[in-house]
Amino acid sequence: MTLHFDEGDELRALRAAVADLGSRYGQPYFLEQARSGGRTDALWAEAGKAGFLGVNLPEEYGGGGGGMVELSIVLEELGAAGCPLLMMVVSPAICGTVIGRFGTDEQKQRWLPGLADGSSTMGFAITEPDAGSNSHEITTAARRDGDEWVLSGQKVWISGVDQADALLVVGRLADGPRGTLRPALFVVPTDAPGLAAHPIPMEIVSPERQFQVFLDDVRLPADALVGHPDQGIAQLFAGLNPERVMAAAYSLGVARLAMAKATDYARTRQVWGTPIGAHQGLAHPLAACRIEIECARLMTQKAAWLIDAGQDAGTAANSAKYAAAEAAVHAVDQAIQTHGGNGLSQEYGVAALLTMSRVSRIAPVSREMILSFVAQHDLRLPRSY
Amino acid sequence: MNIVVLVKQVPDSGSERKLDPADNTVARASADNVINEMDEYAIEEALLVRDREGGEVTVLTVGPDSATDAIRKALSMGADKAVHVVDDAIHGSCAVQTSGVIAAALQQLEYDLVLCGAEATDAQLSVMPALVAERLNIPQLSGARKLTVEGGMAKIERQTDGGYWAVEAPLPAIVSTWDTINEPRYPSFKGIMAAKKKPVETKTLADLGLDAGSVGLANATSKVLDFAGRPPKGEGVKVVDEGDGAQKFVDFLASQKIV
Ligand SMILES: Cc1cc2nc3c(=O)[nH]c(=O)nc-3n(C[C@H](O)[C@H](O)[C@H](O)COP(=O)(O)OP(=O)(O)OC[C@H]3O[C@@H](n4cnc5c(N)ncnc54)[C@H](O)[C@@H]3O)c2cc1C
Ligand SMILES: Cc1cc2nc3c(=O)[nH]c(=O)nc-3n(C[C@H](O)[C@H](O)[C@H](O)COP(=O)(O)OP(=O)(O)OC[C@H]3O[C@@H](n4cnc5c(N)ncnc54)[C@H](O)[C@@H]3O)c2cc1C
Repeated sequence: MTLHFDEGDELRALRAAVADLGSRYGQPYFLEQARSGGRTDALWAEAGKAGFLGVNLPEEYGGGGGGMVELSIVLEELGAAGCPLLMMVVSPAICGTVIGRFGTDEQKQRWLPGLADGSSTMGFAITEPDAGSNSHEITTAARRDGDEWVLSGQKVWISGVDQADALLVVGRLADGPRGTLRPALFVVPTDAPGLAAHPIPMEIVSPERQFQVFLDDVRLPADALVGHPDQGIAQLFAGLNPERVMAAAYSLGVARLAMAKATDYARTRQVWGTPIGAHQGLAHPLAACRIEIECARLMTQKAAWLIDAGQDAGTAANSAKYAAAEAAVHAVDQAIQTHGGNGLSQEYGVAALLTMSRVSRIAPVSREMILSFVAQHDLRLPRSY
Repeated sequence: MNIVVLVKQVPDSGSERKLDPADNTVARASADNVINEMDEYAIEEALLVRDREGGEVTVLTVGPDSATDAIRKALSMGADKAVHVVDDAIHGSCAVQTSGVIAAALQQLEYDLVLCGAEATDAQLSVMPALVAERLNIPQLSGARKLTVEGGMAKIERQTDGGYWAVEAPLPAIVSTWDTINEPRYPSFKGIMAAKKKPVETKTLADLGLDAGSVGLANATSKVLDFAGRPPKGEGVKVVDEGDGAQKFVDFLASQKIV
C-alpha cells in the first residue's frame, strides 16, 4: 500500500529553483511591466532556457519529459514569487499537450522545441462573443480551397496575442453540421494576412493582455490543421484538463502571495500595542484561507497526477480549478482587509491581485459551469441547460 | 583542471537558529538546513572556471546524513560529483578538527584548485581555508571578489574595505570567495534531473585513515561552555520634534558614532 503526500527530492528541488528564479524578478518587476505596458519577455525567456516552461513536453522535442505535476509546480511557484505567467496556462499546457499528443511528426518538430524552450509562444483561441461558456455556439469555420484552408470568424478575450507567434484556433469545418460542436483545431501564425488583433482594455494588473481577434479569410496550408479532422473533440478534451490544472496553479500562486503579504503584515503591524495578527478577527480568517489553499493544492496535485497517469481527470481538474479560484478570491480579500488602508495602495501590491484573483472564477471555465458539471456528472442531478 | 568545492550545510540564516542545550552544539534537527549561502558563490565560481578551462568539479561535504540535500543542490547546479564524509564521531567537532577531516578527504582526491565560501553563516569563523591550506601545505587566497586561473596560477582580487589587493599563487591553491564574485545560478530542470544520476561517494573516518579520537565534541580544541538567547530589543529613543528635531537627530547619530 502506498499513498504518498511527499513530493520527493526532485519536485522539491524544482519548486526551490523556480522560486529562486521568480524571486530574482519578483512582483515589482511584474507590476512595473503591467503598468508601463511592458512585457515579461525577459522572465519568459529565462524560464524557458532553464527548461521550466517545457517540463511537461517530450524530451525528444526539447522538453523535460515530465508532466502536469511539474508544469503546475512551475506556475504556482512563479505566482507565489509575484510573477504568474498566464501564458503558461496556454502555450505549454494546452497547445503543447494537444500538438504533442495529436500533431503529425512535422507539426511536433515545427512547434514543440520552441514551446519547450520558450523561444516561441502559442496562444489558444476558443472563446467567441457568443460562445464563452457554451462552446457549441462556435461559428469560426474553415473551408477547403484546393490545398489550403480558408478560416473566418471572430474570437474574444484571447490572451497574449502580442506575445504569441501563433494561435491554436478552435473552429469547425464549414461543411460539417451546425449545432453540437465537432471542433477542428488550426495553428494560425499571428502574422497571417487576414488576422487582426485588438487589445481589450482590462482592469487586470497584468502584462499579459487580452485581445479581440478577427479572422478574415485567413489562408492556411493544409498542415495547419492539427492531426486528423476526426480527432478534434479528443484534442480539445486533451487540452482542457491541463488548462484547468494550470488555472488552479495560477490561482494558488496568487493566493500564496496574498497570504505571505498578509501574514508578514499581521505579524508586525501594531494598532493596539500588539501585532494585529494576535486578534482572532484577523487570525481566524487567515487560518481559514490557509486551509482552503492547502486543500486546493492537494486537489491540484491529484488532478495533475491523474492527467499524467493517463486517467480520467475531468472531475478532479474542475474541482481543483474551482477550489483554487475560491481560495485565491478569499485569500486576496482577506489580505486586503488585513492591510487596512495599505491594502488598497499600490506600494503593498495587494490590491493589484484583486482582479487577478477574480479572473480565476471566470476563466477558462466559470465557477457556475464547474458546479453544473459536478452536479450532473458526480451527483447525477438533472442537466440544467 | 580538477576543482573541489567545500560545501557546508547550515541552518537557514533567514529563520530562527538555536543551539542544542544538551551539548551546546548547533541544533540541526529542528532547523531548516540549507547550503551555506557563501558556498553557492564558490560553487558558481567553480562551474565558471570549469566551463572556461575544462575539467571536473567535485563537491566535498563533511556533515550528517541530511547534508545530502546540500550536495544534491550543488550537483543540480552543475557540479560533476561529490564526496560526503559522514561519521557520527564527527559530531561537535571544532574548526581545527574539521579541517583535519577535510584535508584528509582532499588528499584522496586530485585537485588543482579548492574553492570555498569566505565564511559560514552559522559559526562565522572564516578560518577553514587557512586551516586547510596549512594542513595541505598549499597557498590560500582568501576573500576573492574576482578569480582568474591562467598559466598554472590563481589570481584574485582580494576584497578589502577600501578596494582590493591583487594576489596570486601557484596551483594547487585554495581560494575563498565573497558574494561579490558572481551571481550563483539556480538549477535548471535538466540539472535537477541529472543530479540524481551523478556519483556521490560516502566516506567514513576509517576510509580517510582517521582515528575517531582525533575528532568530536569530547576532543574539540574549543568548547561552548554556555549560551544565552539574544536580549529582547530595547525600547529605542523617541525624539520629540519641538522645532529642533533635526539637531536632536544628528546629535543622536553622533552619540552612536554613526556620523
Ligand atoms: C483574463 C481572461 C483571459 C482569457 N483568456 C482566454 C484565452 O486565452 N483564450 C480563450 O479562448 N478565451 C479566453 N478567455 C475567455 C474565457 O474562457 C471566458 O471568459 C469564459 O469561458 C466565460 O465566457 P464568457 O466570458 O463569454 O461568459 P458567459 O459565457 O457569457 O457567462 C456569463 C456568466 O453566466 C454564467 N453562466 C453561463 N451559462 C450558465 C449556466 N448554464 N448556468 C449558470 N450560469 C451560467 C457564467 O458562469 C458567467 O458567470 C479569457 C477570459 C479572461 C477574463
Ligand atoms: C480610500 C481611503 C480613503 C481614506 N480617506 C481618509 C480621510 O479622508 N481621512 C482620514 O483621516 N483617513 C482616511 N483614510 C484612512 C482610513 O480611515 C484608515 O485606513 C482606516 O481607519 C484603517 O486604518 P489603517 O489603514 O491604519 O488600518 P489598521 O488600523 O492598521 O488596521 C489593519 C487591520 O487590522 C484590523 N484590526 C485593527 N485592530 C483590530 C482589533 N482590535 N481586532 C481585530 N482587528 C483589528 C483592522 O480591522 C484592519 O483589518 C482613508 C483610507 C482609504 C483606504
